[in-house]
Amino acid sequence: MAKHSVSLTVNGDEHDLLIEPRKTLLAVLRDTIGLTGTKEGCSTGDCGACTVIVDGKAVTSCMVLGVTASGKEITTIEGLASDGELHPVQQAFINTGGYQCGFCTPGFIMASKVLLDENPNRSEEEFRHALGGNICRCTGYTKILEAILQAAEEIR
Amino acid sequence: MSEYTVVGQKVARVDAVEKVTGAAQYGADVHPPGMLYGKIVRSKQAHANILSIDTSEAEKLPGVRAIITQDDVPSGRRVFATDKVLYLGEPLAAVAASDPDIAEEAAELIKIEYEVLPVVQDVMEAIKPSAPRLHGDDTKDGPNRREISTQIRKLSRDKENDHSNEISKLEAELEDYPDEVYYNISAESHSDAGDVEKGFAESDVVVEDTYVIPRVHQTYMEPHVSVASADSSGKITVWASTQGPFAIRSGIAGTLGIPLTQINVIGTTMGGGFGGRFGVIITHIPAVLLSQKTGRPVRVQMTREEEFTDGRPAPGCVIKLKTGATKDGHILAREALAFWDSGSVSGASIGSTIRVRGVYKIPNLKISAYGVHTNKSGTAAYRAPGAPQAIFAGESQLDEIAERIGMDPVKFRLMNMREEGDAIPAGAAEPKVGYKETLEAVADAAGWWDREVNENQGWGVAVGDWTNGCGPGGVYVSVHEDGSVRIFHGSMDITGTDTAISQIIAEILTVPYESVTIRRGDTDSAPYSTGSGGSVVTFTMGNTAKLAAEDAHRRILELASERLNMNVDNLELRDGEVHVISADPPKSISLGELAAYSLSTTGGPIVGKGSFARQPSTPALAAQIAKVEVDPDTGRTRVLKLVASQDVGFAINPMAVEGQIEGGTVQGYAWAMMEEMQYGEEGNINPGFVDYRVPTSADLPTVESVIVEVPAPNGPYGAKGVGEPPITPTLATMANAVKDAVGVRINELPIKPEKVVDALKNNGHGA
Repeated sequence: MAKHSVSLTVNGDEHDLLIEPRKTLLAVLRDTIGLTGTKEGCSTGDCGACTVIVDGKAVTSCMVLGVTASGKEITTIEGLASDGELHPVQQAFINTGGYQCGFCTPGFIMASKVLLDENPNRSEEEFRHALGGNICRCTGYTKILEAILQAAEEIR
Repeated sequence: MSEYTVVGQKVARVDAVEKVTGAAQYGADVHPPGMLYGKIVRSKQAHANILSIDTSEAEKLPGVRAIITQDDVPSGRRVFATDKVLYLGEPLAAVAASDPDIAEEAAELIKIEYEVLPVVQDVMEAIKPSAPRLHGDDTKDGPNRREISTQIRKLSRDKENDHSNEISKLEAELEDYPDEVYYNISAESHSDAGDVEKGFAESDVVVEDTYVIPRVHQTYMEPHVSVASADSSGKITVWASTQGPFAIRSGIAGTLGIPLTQINVIGTTMGGGFGGRFGVIITHIPAVLLSQKTGRPVRVQMTREEEFTDGRPAPGCVIKLKTGATKDGHILAREALAFWDSGSVSGASIGSTIRVRGVYKIPNLKISAYGVHTNKSGTAAYRAPGAPQAIFAGESQLDEIAERIGMDPVKFRLMNMREEGDAIPAGAAEPKVGYKETLEAVADAAGWWDREVNENQGWGVAVGDWTNGCGPGGVYVSVHEDGSVRIFHGSMDITGTDTAISQIIAEILTVPYESVTIRRGDTDSAPYSTGSGGSVVTFTMGNTAKLAAEDAHRRILELASERLNMNVDNLELRDGEVHVISADPPKSISLGELAAYSLSTTGGPIVGKGSFARQPSTPALAAQIAKVEVDPDTGRTRVLKLVASQDVGFAINPMAVEGQIEGGTVQGYAWAMMEEMQYGEEGNINPGFVDYRVPTSADLPTVESVIVEVPAPNGPYGAKGVGEPPITPTLATMANAVKDAVGVRINELPIKPEKVVDALKNNGHGA
């Protein structure tokens, strides 16, 4: 299959790549660039495990073709901590036990980061609904909500 | 104030940073150089004879490196179907290609000719004489029809109380075939105690009903995956996302006829398991076969859709249950007849039907359970396998009895609960367990005793019991010259068990939790370890870790005795240093100094070894209360409050224990209210998250967890296995709450809004 030339900025690094048009952004991040922190849970955009930030918005990367992400700024879970300091959301997930198996965690953390960037003053109920696009099977969500509320407190 | 400094504390997990930074390596993150991508070719029919498999077109596709069928399995053990498929999604062949999309394309190009056969998906249909037979004469040794017919009739006397038309239809059909032997029955299990007939005769109230529990998927977030690499000497390395690397090793060895020493299984970080991640056939064997054929590493990764069609979910079942009690509230007898949907192979947890006995003094008990074949994939464990189904029936029916005799459901349960020394029906004597404490704790925390109810609101309570398993394990502990402690073992971390092991060892060696690190070896390097399932890990590996730390402790005192020239009896390990008891001035030597000293001694470095296999476990109880509001027009149920208590023996890490209670309770909620694998003539019809809905954070409120600690005599620090119990009562908790809210009892899960609306209509609502 003919390949297309694509230029992406991922976690601040520029990548000039040749990719097949059928490859998703998720496949490009994981298989081509080798950033495997972003997870594939359903491939249909329903579980949120593959959530990354594209130009400031939370996006399920399994639903985006790599070629359409050309020229965009992408942040993955690997790019969230800076200078060895965890982002407040990451730290809050540790403090509250907001993860168990950890497979959905990168997606939850990226989705939470965007929600907190937009508005850290949401109520618990608002966060519950706003995180409805991410599935966690281990925690029952109680400690994930605790985590995002703790991070919101930290950020405010 | 706890007498302990590390165990019993809410410490951050040992894998915290790697899990929140994306560094943790799961199965699909493994990518050895030259790796190919495997794809399994699956049946598109639910029941059919295979006439031909034509791989010629697929072989021509550029990038395809190998295509294998059953002909490529040298041992002859069944990996792929050959002449007949029994369910949609059954593996027929596998492809390896240079790119995952090419592998998928190739799989589509393989032409399979089917001769379609009649399909049976419902257990009550499958046991009818007229049903299609899945295994021909293979299961002819099943029970006689007359036997089952009699059992069904005996349980169906009270027709007025049982609305199940299915059962009466079945009875009618069975009448016509009295002496024939069953074909679709794969297994049976029976137990009894006392005399149920006498018990029912002495009862003032007898209730019977039929409960239908659907097949649900464990829905771990990481789909099955394995990467296999066979080198030219025949050595096989498998990176497997599994709960039991040692079980995978022996599974591969057995299936393919390869010596154990030629197989190394590396357990990768596991994206959830819940009992469903033990099987060897699903991805591991095809990956190994493809790697052997191509000489390259091969990854076989299932999609979510494949998980639903060819995963090994929890069995659904139909349970006919009858309970008798006196009007002052004593349960006298209980009889159950259960049909479990095993799918195409046997193995459903039919023995768990015994769980209908609950934790109550029931003098007369009779249980019969059958595993039934249908055109579905086989089943596997899911968090307390079989218990949520049986306990749903048992605890729903208890509320019906309580209502008829006018007793509070909590008081009714408390009154009948077994105490230490009581006989367990069809079992031994009850050890000390916090049954009453746990139920009382949840009732107090939820505000049960002065509960308020507005219109269309209701409260439900239920309890569920489970006992953790136990198995072999080994742990090594080393103390280094800087005083740090390193643990080495072979058990898969399952939601914080590595953390619990580290806490136990830090506690015994009196060092800070932060100076302990833990490493898991592969099957080539680590001592044997039982699989991480059945709530075994903290119990088994906790005990093993304790033995290893105590062994290291002995060596530490021995070294200190040598070094300080002091009798061991005068020495004490405290705060990471060995102190001379009652020395004035105080005299001590640090662990680091002792570790450095040990390197030049005859006895050598500080290495503690722990090896353990079995000690009797103690049952655990989970008790839950839900407050709900049901909209009688839409049938929608909203949870207002969900409180879960559990007797955990001792919480080694209360944060992790709460996490288990919360997560298990929500899985139980989902089974009660949302989840159901649906099947049609064509097989599973809802293989994705749009049609198989699992809860999100928007679906329910915060689960409040309450930890109760009645120590288990053989658990480390009194701990019991905590993972499984919390899912067991929730199904009934929800059904009981809905009944309390709007007066309709839903016995067929899940409690979808339309079922509530229909039931309300039958009750005269909106007429």
